[in-house]
Order: sequence, then structure tokens, then C-alpha cells
Amino acid sequence: MSANIFNFEFRSRLRSVLIWSLALTGIMFFYFSIFQTFAAQAALMNELLARFPPALLEAFGMNKIDMSTVLGFYAFVFTFIQLCLAIQAGNYGFGLISIEENEMTADFLLSKPVSRTQLLTSKLLAALSSLAVTELVVWVVSFAVITIFRDSYEYQSGTLVLLLVSMLFLQLFFMSVGLVISLLVKRVRSVTPYSLGLSFGAYVLAAVSGVFGEVKLEYITPFKHLDPAAIVQNAAYNTPLLILNIAITVVALASSYWIYLRRDIPVVS
Amino acid sequence: MNIFLHEMKASLKSLLIWCGILLLFIILVTAKYSAFAGDPSMLAIIDTLPKPMIDAMNLRAFNLTTVTGFYELMYLYFALIGGIAAAMWGSDMISKEERDRTVEFSLVLPVSRNKVITAKALAALVNSIVFVMVTWLVSIVAVAPFTPDQAFFDFLRIEMAAMFTIELIFLAIGLLLGCAMKQYKRSGSTAVAIILGTYFLSVMSAMQEKLDFLKYFTPFKYFDAGKLLRTGQMDGNSLLLSAGIIVVCVTAAYLTYNKRDLYI
Repeated sequence: MSANIFNFEFRSRLRSVLIWSLALTGIMFFYFSIFQTFAAQAALMNELLARFPPALLEAFGMNKIDMSTVLGFYAFVFTFIQLCLAIQAGNYGFGLISIEENEMTADFLLSKPVSRTQLLTSKLLAALSSLAVTELVVWVVSFAVITIFRDSYEYQSGTLVLLLVSMLFLQLFFMSVGLVISLLVKRVRSVTPYSLGLSFGAYVLAAVSGVFGEVKLEYITPFKHLDPAAIVQNAAYNTPLLILNIAITVVALASSYWIYLRRDIPVVS
Repeated sequence: MNIFLHEMKASLKSLLIWCGILLLFIILVTAKYSAFAGDPSMLAIIDTLPKPMIDAMNLRAFNLTTVTGFYELMYLYFALIGGIAAAMWGSDMISKEERDRTVEFSLVLPVSRNKVITAKALAALVNSIVFVMVTWLVSIVAVAPFTPDQAFFDFLRIEMAAMFTIELIFLAIGLLLGCAMKQYKRSGSTAVAIILGTYFLSVMSAMQEKLDFLKYFTPFKYFDAGKLLRTGQMDGNSLLLSAGIIVVCVTAAYLTYNKRDLYI
């Protein structure tokens, strides 16, 4: 771990972290500002929903989420937070190594007296810290919007903490998978299409898979590993899926180190 | 013409990857759907629903027992994937020259900047057309086991037309971003912001009556799958609005790129 690389990397992401944090704050305030109107119609809505057949409710993804409760509504908003966090983590993961090679600074960096392991570790820790700062903002804002807008509605802070902790797993997943993909392909010219493809692909699969109930799509999309509606409903993680999620992350990270230590670095000729 | 061919070749890989994502998506979702198709108990349940209640709650009951209902549901996801792909093509076509330090080279060629943009925009346009065609073909093949009727094919045609319109809107926006952003790195991230923003707006606008006006700001709400199916045509106002956005963005792209101080 090299403090210089860490500092440089961390500082170069400050702007991006700031923008993502502001965007997430905005989204939460925006959505939660209509929570009270929603909650006011809660009784009416639940009564209406109760008359719908379960299969249909499932089709709209409303069988799990009771939108008239603070946490139900929060879980709904949280799916969008997850999407943003996934894109952010994917951006950092895909860009971690490829940006040096695109800007022709990889040879400069590797001529420094640091090993590749140290280099990758410093970069990973810096990206992780940037992600952690964003998550911290989400923690604070989540409690803030709920306190401001919840009115007299109650909620279990334990479940909320579970949801908030799940952000870490999600971001680690997208960062590691992004990193390993960026090392597997020949060259990542532009980070955005890759991270958008990965996150939106996973998101769309998760959204559609909610419609049809029991088929095994749950295993391949991280948004289902950490499904906020399921977490709120059960007040617990789905342990096998969480383990699967962590396992993929660990494998991706380990293979990233393995590949990077053996990588042929493109340089200015 | 040379630039156009070069761009087509350069973006072939990206086109193939996006088509791969789409193919995977359609295959997986159709596999899921097959468990659902033609289940009469589902149909019976939906039939018991009082119509006014559905209207009041602004919910459309997708009749998931038919392929057409299934494809109504798919519309938003097609629009989302197509929109993202098109926005990426649009912005990347222009901004990559600056990223790869090749912009001076392409501008010393005996072509005007206008011609460069035109060639690049056409390449992105062809990509978008191919993307819709692939979606269309894959869909026809994927649903063949469910023996769809003629009504389905009519609906699919109009759904694909709507998807293409959304692609064009995002392509134009992406093109403008690529041309107008002073820092080439910003064009990609701004495109992400616009896609996420419009997607969240489309969710918001459906949540509450008084936020309904938001639908004008998000292309994902311009065409409604249910309405496309019922009327069999695309909403005229939305088409006009889409055309307006496209024309404004493309014109602005040409104007700004001609005056741009390029990063070299």
C-alpha cells in the first residue's frame, strides 16, 4: 500500500464522489417528498390492493412492498439508489487500471518503486474509500429524509441498517466484476458504456424477474442477491444469495490480482 | 464515405456486445415467461378484476397469459436498453477522437467538420437501425414457440417503431453532448446523468396524478405500451415532441462543433 498513490487516486475521485452524493441526496429528497401523500392514502390503497389477486400484484412487484410503510416506501426508492451506486462502482472498477493505459501513464506508474500488488491494493483501497464516502452520505441522508418526512409513521431502524449495509456488498460486487472484466478484454477505451451495460443489464433482469416469480434469474443478478423488498419483508438477508454474491466478489478480486501481475502493459512506443 | 465506413467498422464490436446483451435478455426473459404462458388460471383471475379500479389506480393489467401482454411489459426495457445504447453511440462517436488523440488527424483530412459529424452520425444511425432490427428478429424467433397471432406482429411492429424513436432521441442527445462538451470526459457522464434522470422521472410521473406533467420531460413516457396496443398507432403529440427534440439537438450539435476549440 502506497500512501502517495492512495492520496492521488482518492483526490482525483473527489469531484465524482461529490456529484454522485448530491445526485443520490436529490433522488431521496425528491421521492420522499411525496411519501406523505402516499401514506395518507395508505389505508385506501391497501384496501384496493387487498382486492387484487396476488399474481397480479406480483406482476407489478407490489406483493412484497407495502408502500404505505416507511420502510416499504424506502425499499422502493432504494432500488434506484442501488442502480446509481452500481453504476458508480462499475465506473470505478472498469476505470481502475484501464484509465492508466488509455492515458499512457501506465509505464510511468510502473516505473515507480512499488510492486504491482502494492499498486493494485492502493488503487483498490482508494476506490473503496471513495465508494465508502458516498455510502456514508446515503446513510446520513436516509436517516434525515426518514426523520423529516415520516410524520407519525414508525419504522424499525434495524432493518434500515441492514439495507444500508447491503450497499457495501453491492458496490464491492460491481467494482470487482468491473475490474476483472476490464482486465480480461483487450482494451477498455471508454468506461461508461461498459459500466452502464453491466449495471443496467443486471437491473433490467432483476426488474423483469420480479414479474414472473420462480425462475432462477435470481442467481445471476446482484440486485436480486440484495433485493431491498425481500430484506424489508424478512428483516434479514437471503443468506445463500449473499454468500454467492460475496463469493463472486472474492473470485473476481483474486483473479484480478492474478491477471494484473502477469499483464502485458501497453506503453507509448 | 471513408469516415462512415471506418466508424462502422470501429463500432462493430460495441454493436455486437449490445446485441449480445439484448439477445441474452430476451432469451432469459422468454424462458421465464414460458412458465407463465397460456396458464388459464391466471387469465381467470385477471378477468375478475373490475375495470374502473385498474383505471383509477393508473395500472394497466398486462395480460401476461398472451404473448402480446408479455411484450407490452417488455416495452420499457427495450426502450431503456435501446436508449442507453444509442446515447453511448452518439456521444462516443464524437468524443472518442479527442480521447484517442486522433481528432487533429481526422480534421486535417480534406473534409469539413460538418461532413465529419454527418458521417459519424450516419454510422451511429445505422447502428441504431441494426439494433432495432435485431431486437425485432430475435423477438419473432423467441416467441415462435408460443404461436403468436397476427395482432402480436402488428403490435411488435409499432413497438419497434416506438423503440426506434426513443433511440433516435437519445442518439441526438448523445451527439449534442459529444459535440458541445468542452471536456470530452464529461460527455459520457452527462449522458449517464440524463438517462438516469429521465428514467427516474418516468417512474415518478406514474406515481402521482399531480406529477403527471413530468411525462413531457422523459422520452420513456412518450409512448405507452398499452396505448400503442389499443390504438395501433403512435401518439401524434409525442411524435412531434420527439421530432422537435431531435431536430434541435442535431442542429445544435452541428453549430457547436463548428465553433468548438478542440482538445488536442
